[in-house]
Amino acid sequence: MDFAIFLVQLLNGLQYGLLLFLIASGLTLVFGVMGILNLAHGSMYMVGAYLVWYFFQLTDQFLLSALISAALALGLGVLIEKTLIHRLYKRNHLDQVLLTIGMIFVFNALQSILWGDDPLGVPVPELLSGSIHLTELVEYPVYRLFVAALCLLLAGALYLVINRTRIGMLIRAGESNREMVECLGVNINQLYTLVFGAGVMLAALAGVVAAPMISIVPGMGEHVLITCFVVVVIGGMGSIKGAFVAALLVGVVDTFASVLVPGVSSMIVYILMAVILLIKPEGLFSSQK
Amino acid sequence: MSESPLSQSPSQLSQANLAEADDTSEAHAISEAHAASEAHARSESTVVLETEGLCKYWGGVKALDNMSLRFHERSLHGIVGPNGAGKSTLLNMLCGTYKPTAGRIIHNGDCINDIRPYDFARRGIGRGFQKTNIYPQVTCLENCCIAAQRRVGGSFNIFLPKNSSQLLEEMADQALAQVGLESRRDEIASHISYGEQRQLEIAMVLATAPSVLLLDEPMAGMGHEESQLIIELLKTLKKDYCIVLVEHDMDAVFELSDQLTVMVNGQHLITGSVEEVRDNSKVKEAYLGQGDEVI
Amino acid sequence: MFFLKKAENWFVWIFFPLALLLPLFLEQNEFYVNKLTSVVIFAMFVMSLDYLVGRCGMITLGHSMFYGLGGYLFIMIAPEYEAVNFWVYTFYICVIAALIALVVGVIVLRTSGIYMIMITLAIAQMCFYFFSDSVEFGGNDGLFIFTKPDTSLFGLSFFNLDDPMHFYYFCLLSLFNCLVFWKVVTGSRFGRIMEAVKDNPARTTALGYNVFLFRLISYCMASALAAYAGYLFALQYGYVNPSMMSWQTSGTALVMSILGGMGSLYGAILGTVVYEGLHYTFEHLTQHWLLLMGSMIIAMVMLFKSGLAGVIDNLVERRK
Repeated sequence: MDFAIFLVQLLNGLQYGLLLFLIASGLTLVFGVMGILNLAHGSMYMVGAYLVWYFFQLTDQFLLSALISAALALGLGVLIEKTLIHRLYKRNHLDQVLLTIGMIFVFNALQSILWGDDPLGVPVPELLSGSIHLTELVEYPVYRLFVAALCLLLAGALYLVINRTRIGMLIRAGESNREMVECLGVNINQLYTLVFGAGVMLAALAGVVAAPMISIVPGMGEHVLITCFVVVVIGGMGSIKGAFVAALLVGVVDTFASVLVPGVSSMIVYILMAVILLIKPEGLFSSQK
Repeated sequence: MSESPLSQSPSQLSQANLAEADDTSEAHAISEAHAASEAHARSESTVVLETEGLCKYWGGVKALDNMSLRFHERSLHGIVGPNGAGKSTLLNMLCGTYKPTAGRIIHNGDCINDIRPYDFARRGIGRGFQKTNIYPQVTCLENCCIAAQRRVGGSFNIFLPKNSSQLLEEMADQALAQVGLESRRDEIASHISYGEQRQLEIAMVLATAPSVLLLDEPMAGMGHEESQLIIELLKTLKKDYCIVLVEHDMDAVFELSDQLTVMVNGQHLITGSVEEVRDNSKVKEAYLGQGDEVI
Repeated sequence: MFFLKKAENWFVWIFFPLALLLPLFLEQNEFYVNKLTSVVIFAMFVMSLDYLVGRCGMITLGHSMFYGLGGYLFIMIAPEYEAVNFWVYTFYICVIAALIALVVGVIVLRTSGIYMIMITLAIAQMCFYFFSDSVEFGGNDGLFIFTKPDTSLFGLSFFNLDDPMHFYYFCLLSLFNCLVFWKVVTGSRFGRIMEAVKDNPARTTALGYNVFLFRLISYCMASALAAYAGYLFALQYGYVNPSMMSWQTSGTALVMSILGGMGSLYGAILGTVVYEGLHYTFEHLTQHWLLLMGSMIIAMVMLFKSGLAGVIDNLVERRK
């Protein structure tokens, strides 16, 4: 493999990893702060992609559609938390699994009713549709770089929110000791709603920005969900930092595996996870004791 | 621990002090004879459990440092110390929950540092937990049956009905009788009172036929009468078992202990008889506070 | 004697006679008999999961791996064009599955709670992709079983695997045996300690039991019976494919088990029957049956805390 191809693969891997982080951060936040295992998180990614496709059909404006989609996703997250998740904090993981599997069913059905089962696509926005030359022969699409940059930006923003704000302080407290946050008592309901809504929005946003790069198909949520689980587990449940490192690791490993060892490429991520859990059963950056 | 525990003068102690004041010579004679006989008994009674230079570090924090203790059979060894002194850490190492960083634990002459946590119980080291730790959803009898079944065997037999053994039930009943819970035999464990749950926990440990009983604050959170019940129970039990008792209730510890160890900040301060410890100036200074109020 | 609880007794006395009689009304329609058979087979699988999750407290999302392996193992070890003995291969498959579970269990059981959910999922996914990517095992399409085994025992043949009615009754008998087996296990001395391990592992260790070993044995038993169910499924349809091992299969089984009432064992049958019944009904009502199914599940979680078995228990206890 020459250097240029290596570079392209590395960029692909990092960009995929960053996208994974966007989704996984919501998953790990919701678990870390609220102790909720949300299996329907992947569906939010799917919802984001379908929403942006729908609004793009209506408005023909990618940015506008993206913003509307993100706002709707936030609303959806808040709605779900207020109506359903809210009543499940005191229940065990099994009930959460059951509820969120039910939600997967509903979202899949709604997707099929509203938008059908055919693969859909969103064109890359005009402004970002070009490519840049890495070397004389190898080009790299600008949009992918844009996505990577955007994800990094969001990761940075998330970092600032978590480390510099009061809400962030509560979230960090939740990461290390969930019971303690419950004891703080202050507006805990609002915090939960906010975190869940933000988690849903991040996942939907990942779906939105991914939409021009992939074909939008039914079941896309479940596939990404499992990969995100792997990320969250490798990183350590509830740890944002862990999710970031693990997402990049998974992204790069997965991308290179599909080039170097195509035969076992779909297994490689799971092997990675099994190996890491064997060494560190609680993940790389586990904060929950 | 803002107030000195001794200032809440225990009845027994103040009586002893009064006796001393009234009839000094006789009291002296009695206590001397008592001490002599006790020393004699101790040298003869065998050491069941022993620690040699036991240490536990959590990262850089020394939870327990260089602890060498001997626990004798048929006696009660009290361990006291302020919060964070490392008492629970010590107990957790004696029953295999934590592995020592350095030092040795010796049981009946064998070093048992490296045996599995469940093997501690098999060797006869039974423990009670700081928080009530029973099986709340089943009856008291069943709680003891679970404990006693290891002695009867067949725990890996998936076809042997669990209620088939008369012997097992007798063992469980006997353990319940030892702590005086016969009347609660068929009640669900979560339905009996808190004090009774603590008794049940001791019964469970007894049902495993231990030689050493490690008890972590069995009287915590109890009312006076309930505590008194446990004290009476421990008085009976120490005739047959080696008991290591971690307890905050000073009256109880002074009343029960044959030997007493004081720990501060993971360090061993002193080990001796109740009198030795009570009169030790270091103890007064480090832990008991203004002991002169009592004396 | 095994069915001590009243509700359980009721259920057994209603369900099994009904299940015995039902095919008599459906004799003209092979489709329905086959449908019933697959429900009965899946109930066996769900029951093994129910034991694992509800009675041992080990939540796994990777149980479908053993269900799928039951089918694939048969293809791997049996000669392609020669009828082998059914009973012998049942034994082989259960033993091999238990051995695989032994290895997997040693890894998986180091963790607990949410980590166990994840790592079981990961291992099952690994297995899923192994079979769906391999050319040798037919990839996504799976493989056909060309020769069904011969069911004679000591030279006597009791039933014919190709006859749907025979097969149905055999599966029903297997289901009953599974129920009895799990009841015996949970009522045994082993079951007592397993229950103790589930309720309070720290206490059970302190009493001198090797908690890990109890979990491992349970894991192996449940995996062997899951493989048995998968083996029957493969024989019924004459093929295996990787979707048997997909995480959706585990998820569905978990839903059925929770629906029926986790840990009640008979609830596994109840949950499977009700779920499949609803599935069938909704499917005929609308193409978007998932919407109804999903809403049903959500309503279920919100309304009942201990599944259908809990509801029945309450009803029966109240009548008393």
